[in-house]
Amino acid sequence: MLSGALVTALRAVVGDDGVIDGAAALLVYECDGYTLERAAPELVVLPRAPAEVGAVLRLLAAGGIPFVPRGAGTGLSGGTLPVGAPVMVCTSRMQRIEAIDATNRRVTVEAGVVNQWVTNAVRAHGLHYAPDPSSQPACTIGGNVAENSGGPHTLKYGVTTNHVLGVELALPTGDLVQLGGAVEDRPGYDLVGLAVGAEGTFGIVTRATLRLVRTPEGTRTLLAVFDSVEAASEAVSGIIADGIVPAALEMMDRLMIGAVEVAYRVGLPVDAGAVLLIELDGPAAGLEPQVARVERVCRAHGVREIRVARDEAERAALWKCRKRAFGAVGRLAPNYCTQDGVVPRTRVPEILRRIAAAGERHRLRIGNVFHAGDGNIHPILLFDARDPDEVRRVLAAGREILEACVELGGSLTGEHGIGVEKIAEMPLLFGPDDLRAMTAIRAVFDPAGRANPHKIFPDAKVCVETRAPRRQAAL
Amino acid sequence: MTPWAEIVGAAHVRPGGAADAVDGVVPRAVVRPGTVDEVRACVRAAAGAGAALLARGLGAHLDVGAPPARLDVLLDVARLARVLDHRAGDMTVTVEAGCPLPALADVLAGAGQWLPLDPPRAGRTTVGGLVAAGLFGPLRASQGRVRDLLLGVRVVGADGALVAGGGRVVKNVAGYDLPKLHVGALGTLGVLVEATFKVRPRPPCGRALVAACGDVGAAADLALAARDAAVEPFWLVLEGERVSVGFAGVAEEVAAGAAAMRALAERRGARVADVDPVAARGRAADMPGEPAAAVLRAGVLPGDVGAALRDIDAAARAAGTAVRTLAHVACGVVYAAVAAEAPVPRLVAHLRPRMEARGGSLVVERAAPGVKRALDVWGDPGPGLPLMRGVKAALDPGALFAPGRFVGGL
Repeated sequence: MLSGALVTALRAVVGDDGVIDGAAALLVYECDGYTLERAAPELVVLPRAPAEVGAVLRLLAAGGIPFVPRGAGTGLSGGTLPVGAPVMVCTSRMQRIEAIDATNRRVTVEAGVVNQWVTNAVRAHGLHYAPDPSSQPACTIGGNVAENSGGPHTLKYGVTTNHVLGVELALPTGDLVQLGGAVEDRPGYDLVGLAVGAEGTFGIVTRATLRLVRTPEGTRTLLAVFDSVEAASEAVSGIIADGIVPAALEMMDRLMIGAVEVAYRVGLPVDAGAVLLIELDGPAAGLEPQVARVERVCRAHGVREIRVARDEAERAALWKCRKRAFGAVGRLAPNYCTQDGVVPRTRVPEILRRIAAAGERHRLRIGNVFHAGDGNIHPILLFDARDPDEVRRVLAAGREILEACVELGGSLTGEHGIGVEKIAEMPLLFGPDDLRAMTAIRAVFDPAGRANPHKIFPDAKVCVETRAPRRQAAL
Repeated sequence: MTPWAEIVGAAHVRPGGAADAVDGVVPRAVVRPGTVDEVRACVRAAAGAGAALLARGLGAHLDVGAPPARLDVLLDVARLARVLDHRAGDMTVTVEAGCPLPALADVLAGAGQWLPLDPPRAGRTTVGGLVAAGLFGPLRASQGRVRDLLLGVRVVGADGALVAGGGRVVKNVAGYDLPKLHVGALGTLGVLVEATFKVRPRPPCGRALVAACGDVGAAADLALAARDAAVEPFWLVLEGERVSVGFAGVAEEVAAGAAAMRALAERRGARVADVDPVAARGRAADMPGEPAAAVLRAGVLPGDVGAALRDIDAAARAAGTAVRTLAHVACGVVYAAVAAEAPVPRLVAHLRPRMEARGGSLVVERAAPGVKRALDVWGDPGPGLPLMRGVKAALDPGALFAPGRFVGGL
């Protein structure tokens, strides 16, 4: 139980409207996009500025109280689940875009700025922020930095870590420390690279300086329709092998095509085995020859039909299908669980077979909508949370899929993070010596283990109340 | 000497000589392990004996960094030189640390691919040196740096454990991003034995132009304008009053980029000539590795490159020495090669505060040992230094690896 004196002191820092402690209001904070485990914090604190984050953490440090950082709560691995941490510190009120430097293609933002806002703010300069997770209308830059988020366009442009030049980190002591900055090549260890993707275990990122990229002169978006996921997978390999680097290369299988078509009515071929969403961008002069090459490769792999978006509206409609595909799944089953794994890109056909086999074995419907060009799979397991046996089978199938990813030379997560969800699987990928090196580094930033405790590392796992998951919010 | 011979065989141990000196410090022994297990045994033996250890590939970049505080064993990893696994379809390659870049390039070229990093002295650079020194060249403008292409590492830690970080796939957020920590760390956190990189298709066409602008300010302005052109340059360097720009990709894109660049430069009154793209980029890549009393490296914002060049020019004139500069405009890196040793400390004292005032830095990238001892080669690493000390203490508590070479005496 937190002391009344502490709560009073926290209110003095963040204002009365910056503290949430009512049981009903706290329900919102008991999980993020990963809903299979839930735990409500005792208190949610919402600082309005980086200095207030520092002041809040100083108060918590004085009491030795663990805390969990949270942005918009769109994470998919339970990274914001308060496990053994009574206080949640939310950055969502820290929404200032502090500096836009178009000449140098930099922007500095507070952690609570929403991903999409960054691009909106710099679009007039012909620039954009490249990492584009599906949740980009809601997710925050602070959360993106914590998770090293990806998105469809990371195939060509790289993930969050390739676009973060500096962060201000509030250490668990409450000290704010600037790592990196607008200028590249400051001497020293790459602590920015280390802090990106640390999942809140170093403290709370309060500000970030981001690299902006030039918005390409031209874009071509194609929808290629295939009879089978195998043929579509082979076309993906063919495109990569041909030396083409598309801006994005996404796949949707039949189950997902059906769900999306029912939800958004854009005329997708519901009898197709798979569709590829292929985007090429760059200088106008080079685009058409590349489109022609992609079409040639697709034809060589038996493509049934290729549609090229004729204008921005058609392009937007195709992307809406892709980015809101998860939302469409709600019509198919009361609940779903999105997995995130990676295989070497040539093993995509094999992992899809393994996913299908896991579905059959556990009597589950599984759809796939994923970043095929990166080998980053997102099987979506449909279930009904009122059926405890089905929940158990979902967890078992998820585990088998991750095991298959590792066995095929891949990874447990491409962009969602380990959080609480995949702690038990970490030893599949890393040995005791690897994990020891990581926990030693964690102790440098957070010697007492108070920043987002019981995340990422297996020995930190404690029991969380696992309840029947509710119907999932569409992301 | 005995424990080393027991580990690697007598044929692979010899006493250190003058030719093995690192910044003038001669190691007691040069040990050449042939396997990762031998590296581990060497590290354990060194740790047990309290001996300071420095890993070396082909030795082309040992002039980067501060002089070692101690050096007992030079661990030559040149025998660990295999390309372990090139997966052309996945566009990844896993390679041992001692593999020279030309050998790696040969393997990748077989599939029309390459690792698009072009450090100075590339012919004598190993994968380990590339990572440890965080080397780059003109291609950084469009292809990124080691940190952007490195997917995974295996590193022998201070207790002799083989520690893996990252992985072999192009997208991966499982665990901390340990590979980034080792990039540019000069081997101070462990002995890198293996690295996995993302590779890319080799662009089918290339062209390069050089524009002579008459003065440095006009050249800096042209370079920024070239960066913003519809076809973004493959690489872009500024040497004195000349801007060199490379384009690569499909033929149509390259032709359009070169034509637009020519028009842009000529509108500004520059004289433009076509040059061989490979040779021009190679010369620019090698500049920081060419003989000089010292090579300084300033980091500034791209928009401040012109001002940094003016500062360097004024400082050189005041110090009465000749300085040759080369700037990678897109990333804000400016090299200054200084002809004479004596004025280097004065130049650094004059220029470093100016670069730091712009939020940047000034590093003495390469210099004769005598020059290095007279100054701080690194400058201020910023407010992260206590955390950096913590990371070093966590991974190398006994200061076994290359002590004294890195920032803050690490």
